[in-house]
Amino acid sequence: MEKANISGYQLFVLIFLFEMGSALLVPLAGEAKQAAWLVILIAMVGGFLLFFIYYGLFQYYPDQLLTEFVRSILGNFLGRIVAFLYILYFIYLAARVLRDFGDTLLTFAYPHIPLFVANAAFILVVVYTVRKGVEVLTRTGELFFVLENLLLMTFFLLIVASGMIHLNNLKPVIEMSGTEMVKMAFTKTIFFPFGEIISFLMIFPYLNEPKRLKKIGISSIAAAGIFLAIIMAMNIAVLGVDLTTRSQYPLLSLIQSIEVAGFLERLDVYFLFLLMIGGFIKISVFTYVAVTGTANVFNVKQPSRLAYPVGFVILLSSIIIASNFTEHMHEGLGAVPIYFHLPFQVIIPLLLLIIAFFKNRKKKKGQHQNKFQGGVDQK
Amino acid sequence: MNRKRLVLLLMMLIAATFTTGCWDKTELNEMAIVSAVGLDRNKEGRLVGTFQIINPGNVAGALQGGGGSNPPISIYRATGDNVLELDSIASTKISRDMYFAHANLVVIGEELAKEEGLTNIFDAFERSPEFRATTRVVIARGVKAKDIVETLTAIDKVSAEKVIRTIETTEKTQGKSISINLQEVIKNLLSTGKEPIISGFTVRGNKGKEDKMENTMSSDIEANPNAAGIGVFKDGKLIDWLDGDKAIGSMWVLDRIENVHLYLDWEGEKNAVTYSVIRQKTNIGAKMVNGKPKISIKVRAEGDIREANVPLNLTDMHVLIDIERKLAKDLKKEMEDAIVRAQKNKSDIFGFGELMHESHPREWKKLEKNWDDDTFPKLEVDVQVETFIRRTGLRNKPYLSNLKKDEQ
Amino acid sequence: MASFFKQKRQVKQREKKKEDESQSQSKTPDYIESSLSANLEIVKKKTGKSPDIIIRTLKIGINPEIKTTILYVQGLIDNPSVTDFIIESIMKNPHLSKNILPLEAMEIISEDVVSLGGVERVTDWEKLFLTLLSGDTIIFIDGVNVALVASTRGGEKRSIQEPSTHLTVRGSREGFTESNGTNIAMLRRIINTPDLWIESMKIGTVTKTDVSIMYINGIVKEGIVEEVKKRLNRINIDSILESGYIEQLIEDQVMTPFPTLNHTERPDMVAGNLLEGRVAIFVNGTPFVLIAPALFVQFFQSVEDYYNRFDIASATRFLRIIVFVISIVGPAVYVAATTFHQEMIPTKLLVIVAAQRETVPLPAVVEALLMEMTFEILREASLRMPKAVGSTMSIVGALVIGQAAVQAGIVSPAMVIIVSITAIASFATPSYAIAISARIVRFGFIICAGMLGFYGMILAFIILIVHLCSLRSLGVPYMTPLAPLNPKGLGDTFFRRPIWAFKERPQFLTNENNLIREGDNQRPLPPESRGMKTSDGKKGEGNES
Repeated sequence: MEKANISGYQLFVLIFLFEMGSALLVPLAGEAKQAAWLVILIAMVGGFLLFFIYYGLFQYYPDQLLTEFVRSILGNFLGRIVAFLYILYFIYLAARVLRDFGDTLLTFAYPHIPLFVANAAFILVVVYTVRKGVEVLTRTGELFFVLENLLLMTFFLLIVASGMIHLNNLKPVIEMSGTEMVKMAFTKTIFFPFGEIISFLMIFPYLNEPKRLKKIGISSIAAAGIFLAIIMAMNIAVLGVDLTTRSQYPLLSLIQSIEVAGFLERLDVYFLFLLMIGGFIKISVFTYVAVTGTANVFNVKQPSRLAYPVGFVILLSSIIIASNFTEHMHEGLGAVPIYFHLPFQVIIPLLLLIIAFFKNRKKKKGQHQNKFQGGVDQK
Repeated sequence: MNRKRLVLLLMMLIAATFTTGCWDKTELNEMAIVSAVGLDRNKEGRLVGTFQIINPGNVAGALQGGGGSNPPISIYRATGDNVLELDSIASTKISRDMYFAHANLVVIGEELAKEEGLTNIFDAFERSPEFRATTRVVIARGVKAKDIVETLTAIDKVSAEKVIRTIETTEKTQGKSISINLQEVIKNLLSTGKEPIISGFTVRGNKGKEDKMENTMSSDIEANPNAAGIGVFKDGKLIDWLDGDKAIGSMWVLDRIENVHLYLDWEGEKNAVTYSVIRQKTNIGAKMVNGKPKISIKVRAEGDIREANVPLNLTDMHVLIDIERKLAKDLKKEMEDAIVRAQKNKSDIFGFGELMHESHPREWKKLEKNWDDDTFPKLEVDVQVETFIRRTGLRNKPYLSNLKKDEQ
Repeated sequence: MASFFKQKRQVKQREKKKEDESQSQSKTPDYIESSLSANLEIVKKKTGKSPDIIIRTLKIGINPEIKTTILYVQGLIDNPSVTDFIIESIMKNPHLSKNILPLEAMEIISEDVVSLGGVERVTDWEKLFLTLLSGDTIIFIDGVNVALVASTRGGEKRSIQEPSTHLTVRGSREGFTESNGTNIAMLRRIINTPDLWIESMKIGTVTKTDVSIMYINGIVKEGIVEEVKKRLNRINIDSILESGYIEQLIEDQVMTPFPTLNHTERPDMVAGNLLEGRVAIFVNGTPFVLIAPALFVQFFQSVEDYYNRFDIASATRFLRIIVFVISIVGPAVYVAATTFHQEMIPTKLLVIVAAQRETVPLPAVVEALLMEMTFEILREASLRMPKAVGSTMSIVGALVIGQAAVQAGIVSPAMVIIVSITAIASFATPSYAIAISARIVRFGFIICAGMLGFYGMILAFIILIVHLCSLRSLGVPYMTPLAPLNPKGLGDTFFRRPIWAFKERPQFLTNENNLIREGDNQRPLPPESRGMKTSDGKKGEGNES
């Protein structure tokens, strides 16, 4: 663990940007058509549930990183293995987001740049940030939070000003049944982006007011969920269901259809800005988490030394995880939720929580103590 | 140690940026800015593309007051089977890269629109990140698309600009054209409950000279492109043209009217009173009555009297109410005619089907299949019009009424 | 390699130091001797017989037995006080006319004769030289091993003038001078509280420059003064010639183009900063006073913001931020837009720019870099050259760049416009220190934009933001109050809240026990008016009737 202190607001901002990250750009829950926004909101509620699992774990071990308390719960050997798997998972997620980002960039603006170069330039910036530590990352997040909101705000205004919102496009609201929607929300949308909050278990211990964590977590997930739902609703209201689901990046199409005062047209740069801010925060968080995790598991004294190698691994894996964008998306929607997200975001944390519960109850009984303090055994 | 890392990082950054140097970079003087694309069909059924390219020097020169003797645009042609093939074939004739992000106009030849339809040509436009979603689409009516793209015009140096502006002003002041962009066209093509309509454009006057500079030299331009009606599509193919009242009526139903004038016959005098619409709103509702869909249209228009060439006492409330009623009646007829025409064409250009889908999704599933051919032509449409006269201009009575008195 | 050299150098230095020490030990003893001639000998040896050190032997009164010598440095002393109050009084004082012993003479001189503010006795050479070289007058009396030091500091100094940087329309016209005493006095005149504390030290093994730390006790945050002192005490350097030396020796991070300490020539600015809990560092010999800790937003503030009304001040602040952004990204946006993202330029504008670029042989990046370089050359040249040539310079610059280059088709007029706007923008930033950093960063942005368009620019932007967030000034994060966010502190950043609403001092700078700076209800209330404004309902009714 590094010596750092982050405030509640900073954590809120970081979670918000993290959630918005790449989810802002893709047609999130696009299969639900007009009800996409509703599915996002349902998934958000699911996100709350997941958050409560993580919060429960955090309550047992408020001073320990994910990689540390795994060892406290499962014992040193097994714990190390699970922690290592988590590190790989985070690296994989970072690589996925990086790939998303690179492919988007290449698709809409820079068709001739090799993917490797685009990703390399970006990961260098990320590594630079990660080396500065979590405090700098959160402070950067604060500034970007303002910037992103400003961008989105002007963007709303432009959309409204160009008079393109046809609320009729959102009708009929409920064409699919409730169970279908819930199924979609809980098999896909909940994992991306809401479940990815698991990585914050590596950041929660730095919070300087742990008592407020529940409020902060819920409010930031809610804020991000509502924002995403609004954006998706707006996509559909402007572009219509068909175009939204056919677009790789509905937000880009939305921005491209803005036409105000015969002057403000083709604001692709807006999209680029949103893309890069979101991508930057998300990849940085994953990379940071992977770096500190590795340092923690392998007892490396200076975690910043690991930033370059981990960054390099992320870069390479972002290139080799798929041969083309379609394959990449296919994996993202098909295999990844079941084989990666489900175990790492739900099953393992849930098991850990159950074990932690029994372990701590035993201890509590033994020591006749009131609260969870018994669980906090410093390493 | 730390500094060494920093240097390393910097070197890597520099290396990364320098090696990327040449990708995706185009200097302005290495590109040909395409301002309009014309698509035609030749006799063998192949696609003929006409690309209008801006000569920046000549346009800007003209803007600054000088220049003007050289044409502001150049035309390149190519024949091929799909849009990208046209692009690459045309490129063999140009020293620069064709750049499409400023192609604000796509002109489609009437023949192409009628025989082959639009469905096969738009994918490239939509897929490419270079093309704008807001590119305007028009149909060349009675002429080839190339004729419109080639024509040199006077005030707007680039004729693509002129075409777009003309359509916009015609839509605004007359309601006889519709300014519609690529994205909307594609959206309507795909929708089962709505068919696209696209403005027509033609070149009138001395043909054969339109691509010479002489054309713009005279004050009375010999070959002038102008707006000509609205084209109606069905299943992606052009099937009919709406002109005059039919076009205006359709635009009323579509709620795209802005500042049009309505002309009213009065006491035998044709078009004696001019009513200028200031503000209007069309609301369309869809209902199911006895298992049958029914559309009701409510129009509310506010405006001023602008011209009265008959002795009319405009200070009299009753006269105004009479005029309002008559206006409403005329307007209603105009709209009903337009709807009947659309029903005859079996082309739901108003999006009544979409409306049904939005308000009655369950019933729509049954109706969707036979909508265009069966339900829509027989659809019951109820039109209600309300008009209001708010002001009558600077004078109350027309001078004609005093003139008449003197004669007596 | 580097460390090897360093070691060697250190060894050398150590040897030298030893030599110095041995020399001084062999030649000058620590304490003053009683023999006048021996003392004078030592002084001459030590100062290398420099002619500006005046040694004047006097007769005390009418008694020729006791030999007296006064020593002073020409130019550093206040002439009238030496001639009138020392030389004349010693020579003509009636108390000295009696037959007295040298020791008594010393007593009399120090108590009765020298009618000056400060007279001190000195016994060791080190202190003696220090005072002599700061402008005091030394009186030796033969036979006494104590010297008298009369404070006669003076000499030619620049008078207080209007500062040449941080100009304002409204506000004090005083600027700091090169003399520390004057500067500190100016502050004393503004802040009349005994809590204005000053601590002095001499830094520089050779120059022994006066450095003073000033702060307001009770307002300054605990620990900050100690931190400043710790950093100042750490300094071991031969000379401090300007406050820039101190700045570079105590800043938190070295590898950054941004200034992490602020400096100013204006006493009112220092006063304002002290009242917010900052520390000022005065360095003798320069009118530039350092202020620490410095925050990023501070460089966009001008003292005048507080003198103008808040709406106007806020508008200007906002303008400055925009100007700063323009001065960083101006040419880069042009390059990125014209070489990578032509789609975002409106068609008509694109056509005009394209027409201008038709004849330009250089790529846009090179053109931009070239023009920026030319501008920097012009700027640097006009700063350093004699004023008489200045106008010639500007004519040549304007003609060469503005006219000839454009007409020859080497650069496009659009580029000239962009570069000029950027240049003007960089001069509109109130702080010169941050304007310079903007200029350096600008080149980085141009290169990034030339390589990768807006992608490169945004990457550069992210690095810039991360870098700014990683900076600290005396431990305070540089981007406070923006990041970490301090909602109360935001009232003095991009906009300035009205003075009557400035209830508290900035929390992140000031001692937490002393935050309140004004009473409640400071909002000025006009007398009860007869119009709509009457807050009390009953009175309003009364007015109507």
